[in-house]
Amino acid sequence: MKLLRPILLNLITWSIVLLISFPLLWMIVTSLKPQTELFRIPPTWIPETVTFEHYWRLLSETPFLLYFRNSVVLATSTTIFVVALGTLGAYSLVRFTYRGRETLAMLVLFTYLLPSVVLIIPLYLMMVSFGISNTLVSLILAHTTFALPYALWLLRSFMEGIPEDLENAALVDGASRIGAFRDVIFPQLLPGIISTALFTFILSWNEYLYALVLVNSESVAPLTTGVMSMLISAFNIEWSLLMAASVMMSLPLIVVFAFLQSYLTSGFGAGGVKG
Amino acid sequence: MTAIATDPPRASNSPLERSYARLGVLLIAPTILVFSIVIVYPLLAAIYLSVFSIYTPTLEGDFVGADNYVKLLTGKAFWNSLGVTLVWTVGTLSLQIVAGVGLALLLHQNIWFRALARSLVLFPYFLSTVVAVLVWKWLFNDLYGALNHGLMQLGIIDMPLDWLGSMPNAMIGVILVGAWKYFPFVVIAVLARLQTIPENLYEAARIDGAGPIARFWDVTLPQLRSVLTVIILLRAIWDFKEFDLLYLLTGGGPVTSTQTLSLLVYQEAFGLNRMGQAAAYSVGMMLVMLVFMILYIRQTKEKRA
Repeated sequence: MKLLRPILLNLITWSIVLLISFPLLWMIVTSLKPQTELFRIPPTWIPETVTFEHYWRLLSETPFLLYFRNSVVLATSTTIFVVALGTLGAYSLVRFTYRGRETLAMLVLFTYLLPSVVLIIPLYLMMVSFGISNTLVSLILAHTTFALPYALWLLRSFMEGIPEDLENAALVDGASRIGAFRDVIFPQLLPGIISTALFTFILSWNEYLYALVLVNSESVAPLTTGVMSMLISAFNIEWSLLMAASVMMSLPLIVVFAFLQSYLTSGFGAGGVKG
Repeated sequence: MTAIATDPPRASNSPLERSYARLGVLLIAPTILVFSIVIVYPLLAAIYLSVFSIYTPTLEGDFVGADNYVKLLTGKAFWNSLGVTLVWTVGTLSLQIVAGVGLALLLHQNIWFRALARSLVLFPYFLSTVVAVLVWKWLFNDLYGALNHGLMQLGIIDMPLDWLGSMPNAMIGVILVGAWKYFPFVVIAVLARLQTIPENLYEAARIDGAGPIARFWDVTLPQLRSVLTVIILLRAIWDFKEFDLLYLLTGGGPVTSTQTLSLLVYQEAFGLNRMGQAAAYSVGMMLVMLVFMILYIRQTKEKRA
């Protein structure tokens, strides 16, 4: 009995875990199957032949790499812009006192919960009147609407975790506020900044609605709308090609998961739940 | 600085403090500027637009007063979508909570390769909705989908099911995919809290003769209560406004049976080209959401105080 319990527990847990990851395993399996094997009934659960032809076709015959490049530019610019603004803003919200500070903090939280569809119509009209609709700049600005409140909220939590004494000690030693920020706060905040940057990048990388509304030319489409258009435009849907695209699209995520996962989990606690 | 020299500072308002306050405002100024342009202005503009009738392709329109709101209140579309949104939110949220708490409890135990198991469970949450939808559409495929064949091989169904094209299957389908995609949020949050429950509480319960189930109800659940409140509020807000997943999976169909409020706003603005009406719908949607938002903001405020 004492020996049986852990084995049973492991068996149950791992069956559930595998069931949950099955869609992802199936995505990889499908992307490696040759076209002829794909439409077999019943499906082969383990591929009989493994092929990389779909990945090759994806890179050489479709605009996938263009979409990928657009997504990299979009997500990177959004991240840099938002994290830079957010770090200064969070520092101000946590360590300075002035009138309206608490109201401002609550406003940030409010915008963090705001639905995108409320903002999308005016934003669309604004981008058209600025003459920047259909550009990556318009998307970067639009992504700010959800990324900035998010980053501010997250960084605020991280900032609150840094003991105030450290900064005071530096100030007593004659450092200026900005000097103390650079030499004392910033190194302490760095893990929080990395975590926030990763989250912002993922949010921006995955965003779909703004890209759908604000961009309709292929040359600036990011991966989300680009890959979806491959689904719609194809005469008969090539599932293995789409699964290969899905795997490739998740690559940055896999890299983050493999090397930087602890940053994700810490950001999770700071942003969503500890509030 | 010269003004300060002639006006002796009081203790609570020293020149240093005043210059710090000025620096604080200076640091937040860029954020406020960007906020005003991309969030505050559009939010006010949405309310302003909702009293006009605007034709999307030409962006021309006339002032119609409260007409759009009268149509919202008397027409069927808004109420139908509100009902759909509530069914979707309650359905997917309950599944997320049950699966999330359950799995968090399992992953809290000492199992083999625990870190790997946790990573595998977390992954769907960070995945792009586009990828999740593509994968599930392929799983749901009525002819070659793995789901139908798996269920048939297990003997649960005899005939392939039409998953996304008919009701109530379409609603069940989106609720399932929503739960699969978002329950890891609950897992991480609950797992983090579980790790902080003091072990001696369990010891005491054990000495009192409480079994594992009694320990869950009497120790674990009360300890999880506050974090669960926050999770439920937050997820309720996010599920309520979800767009990508539903739009990409069913597009609101069949007909309008999975058309939530977010989809209704989008459809009205960019499908039917009635921007004013769409803005009115979006304002209505926000008013409904405001209840949850205020509850959540109050919850966070309490925690800080």
